[in-house]
Amino acid sequence: MDSETTCSGITRRQFLKGSAITPLTLILAGTGVATVYLRHADAQGFTLRPPGAIAEKRFLAACVRCGKCAQACPYLSIKMAGGEAGVGIGTPVIVPREIPCYLCSDLPCVKVCPSGALDKKLEDIEKIRMGTAVIIDRESCLSIRGLRCEVCYRQCPLIDKAIVIEPRHNTRTGEHTIMEPVVRKEKCVGCGICEKSCVLPKPVIVVQKTVETQKDSYEF
Amino acid sequence: MGLTRRDFIKASAAAAAFAAVGVPVVRPKGAQAAEEGITWGKAPCRYCGVGCCVLVGVKGGRIVATKGDPAGPVNKGLNCIKGYFLSKALYGKDRLTTPLIRKGNKMVEASWDEALDLIASKYKEAIASHGPDSVAMYGSGQWTIHEGYTASKLMKGGIGTNNLEPNARLCMASAVVAFMNTFGSDEPMGCYDDLDLGDTYILWGANMAEAHPVLFSRLIDNKLKHPGVKLIDIATRRTRTTKMADEYIAMRPQGDLAAINAIIHVILRDRLYDEAFIKQHVNFKRGKENAPYGLKDKEVFNETPADIKNLTFDEYKVMMKQFTPQWGEKISGIPAKKIEELARIYSDKSRKINSLWTMGVNQHSRGVWVNNLIYNLHLLTGKICKPGENPLSLTGQPSACGTAREVGTFSHRLPADMVVMNEAHRKKAAGIWGIDPNKISSKVGLHTMEMFRAIDRSELKCIWIQCTNPFQSLPNVSRLRKAAEARKAFIVVSDIYPTKSTEVADVILPSASWVEKEGVFGNTERRTQQWFKMIEPPGQAREDTWQMIEFAKRMGLGHLFPYSEKGFYKEMWEEYRKFTIGVGKDLAPYEAYAKVRGLRWPVKPDGKETRWRYTEADDANVKKGEGIKFYKAPDNKANVWFRPYEPPAESPDKEYPFWFSTGRVLEHWHTGTMTGRVPELRRAVSGATIEMHPEDAKRMGIKNRDKVRVTSRRGTIVLPAEINGRGTPEKGNVFTTFFDETKLVNELCIDAFDPLSKEPDFKKCAVKVKKA
Repeated sequence: MDSETTCSGITRRQFLKGSAITPLTLILAGTGVATVYLRHADAQGFTLRPPGAIAEKRFLAACVRCGKCAQACPYLSIKMAGGEAGVGIGTPVIVPREIPCYLCSDLPCVKVCPSGALDKKLEDIEKIRMGTAVIIDRESCLSIRGLRCEVCYRQCPLIDKAIVIEPRHNTRTGEHTIMEPVVRKEKCVGCGICEKSCVLPKPVIVVQKTVETQKDSYEF
Repeated sequence: MGLTRRDFIKASAAAAAFAAVGVPVVRPKGAQAAEEGITWGKAPCRYCGVGCCVLVGVKGGRIVATKGDPAGPVNKGLNCIKGYFLSKALYGKDRLTTPLIRKGNKMVEASWDEALDLIASKYKEAIASHGPDSVAMYGSGQWTIHEGYTASKLMKGGIGTNNLEPNARLCMASAVVAFMNTFGSDEPMGCYDDLDLGDTYILWGANMAEAHPVLFSRLIDNKLKHPGVKLIDIATRRTRTTKMADEYIAMRPQGDLAAINAIIHVILRDRLYDEAFIKQHVNFKRGKENAPYGLKDKEVFNETPADIKNLTFDEYKVMMKQFTPQWGEKISGIPAKKIEELARIYSDKSRKINSLWTMGVNQHSRGVWVNNLIYNLHLLTGKICKPGENPLSLTGQPSACGTAREVGTFSHRLPADMVVMNEAHRKKAAGIWGIDPNKISSKVGLHTMEMFRAIDRSELKCIWIQCTNPFQSLPNVSRLRKAAEARKAFIVVSDIYPTKSTEVADVILPSASWVEKEGVFGNTERRTQQWFKMIEPPGQAREDTWQMIEFAKRMGLGHLFPYSEKGFYKEMWEEYRKFTIGVGKDLAPYEAYAKVRGLRWPVKPDGKETRWRYTEADDANVKKGEGIKFYKAPDNKANVWFRPYEPPAESPDKEYPFWFSTGRVLEHWHTGTMTGRVPELRRAVSGATIEMHPEDAKRMGIKNRDKVRVTSRRGTIVLPAEINGRGTPEKGNVFTTFFDETKLVNELCIDAFDPLSKEPDFKKCAVKVKKA
């Protein structure tokens, strides 16, 4: 395990740069902090990073793999990636289906980051943009099928902001309401609590890479 | 018996064909392929009082699927998330499968004979030395009608004590007393059709969105279809219901008494009432006031006929003059202007108005009074017994109505609205039961709170608890747990899982659950629903009826249950049905229920159900030309009661500055013994939290998910804070849920109760809150 964390994927330069900032890397490697295998990046190559993470490419360069953010996380949401993460080995990841980010208002992970990989300018949890929740399987979503589920909505820490309910008449029964959870992209912080709480075996709502709102001139 | 499960399956093939044409079923994806070899049966859902129908798929002796029943009139194929995972509630890893007997601090496996012999010997011993009132049984609104009926006959007709109570005392008792003293008969005049047909809905202390999920979806659909439909939520906490309402009106705890009186004041002051309706259908009464709160053991309070004064309408009007909107505002926090507005809404002749309420009104130290006051609103304005225009008390258990209320498993009741205090009622019951009328005691038994306090006082020697979890759910529960742990009484618990109650038991009996037995439930809208046994219970688990009857045999009371093995359910049903015939509560023959998705009583001579009671439009007991007739009330008139404001038992003060209230979340049910075993539901909502108003939290430096210590005069508990989540209590209020067995929140609750209904007030006590 020790050799794994120190050898694979991390260039000597990165390593030295990191250690220059914090010798803790060595201590961590030595004490063998768990580098559990969690989840491969999704199909788009998206890995959920802690709050305040700068753009992925720059993040990989900046992060010194010190593990301080993981240590600071009170919910153990932040884990350090293992060998399967390739160049990302030793970087912090969040696997929401296991433990999502619970959005501590004082952002302890950001505060302790020594490298700037987590941006200290971030102070307001509603400004976090780790990713965006997306309902990826509408056919399976129980709420969209008319059942009174909406667990993702009620568990959303930004309920009525990031996820709202859009009710509409259920034409199948003729006398009930489909209470559809809808993600408001501009408000979603990507914490993954919805993904964690989805009751289906494969969550139908998952956090994906935030796609910038496309600009066009159409006004409505 | 007339109709077997096989016949039903044949019949449901037709239903399935209907489903294929008309209403698509909500079913798991890919279920079609997997459906081969599955037999489907119908059953009502095991959880709340809404009464959704489900189809249960069985293969190889195991439930492999459940789905909403498209033929179910309440839910038309839908479920809430609890209902979706219904079958998983039976398959938790720790199902009780064998009787257990306490040996010191250990529970040791035993045979049924050993366990039942021991129970019988303990009951005999107690009865011999202390009389029949030293033993008790505590049941459930989740008991099937057969189970409740067996218990009633066993305790009241056999052992000769009225110490029989259901946990429905904790949720419906206030509604029951108000139905009885207003209309002379329990249960509503209206039904769920009113949710489709009305245009104005006023919620008094009800979070329907989470507590009655599918029904709420039906109510909201009415709003979507008809933009004029108005939903007004009057509450002490903003909920998911609030979010979908047109208007939210914040009210102080106990403010309902003042607010409704002030609304009535305006209706009378501005002559907004329906004079003709009042003349024909209403009496005015004043009851006993300055009532106690039940905090002292053995406190007795009754409203006897001698305590009740008849009033004229004019006298009533004069008495109501004191309750001005300004006075109402001062006490309830609802602005006087709003009170005036509500009076106009309630009396608007162009609006079809419905009042809906649940535990906010019923779990109330003056719960009967608030129920009475809501009826007053409808009776004074004549907005009652009309399609789309009724007051409706929503129930929380699948058979609180069917079993606890209709069978009458309360310490003062007998089946079909009869009571033990009435000699004629005892005679009728004894006649049907084939026993000496003197066998039924005329003395009202211990009500729930007194029953468990009597254990602490060492007055109750034996208690048998079935299908409920009082050592988690009762208020001020630590006093009761300590008494049980000190082994002050011999405690038997029949259940399907280890619970906070089996923890303190001397004997634990493994029970069959839901479709592991045959049964009948009755829901909020008087709908009686039957199901057949579909699978075997695990291990040695047995039905609650079997357990009681085997016990009865050992007590020399086996003759009370002369039913054949094959015809057991039908024979018992037909005997019970005799209580209901001709008294306006008529049930249908057993076979009828096997074929349909429930029937709403009174079932008419032609076998059709009744949607609206007391009206010639639908109720066979009202003749043509009679219009509306409250035929169960003494002079066919309903009572408008004068009920003033009285303060709650405990209010916040300097030391305990917050109001404390408890309630439900959609994902879990009651004490979580079933939903807590469903991993998906635990994943969704894993434990209790304490909801606070964001300003209160900010002032105290409490952030979301911070650990917070909540302390009342009775107990203390640490919970994570939830701020700006699914519910936000008004400033100065905190709220938590009671499903989490790792957090006994009921230790904090005061054991004050309504002196008339004996229903505890779980919604109001004083606590202090500190960052832990």
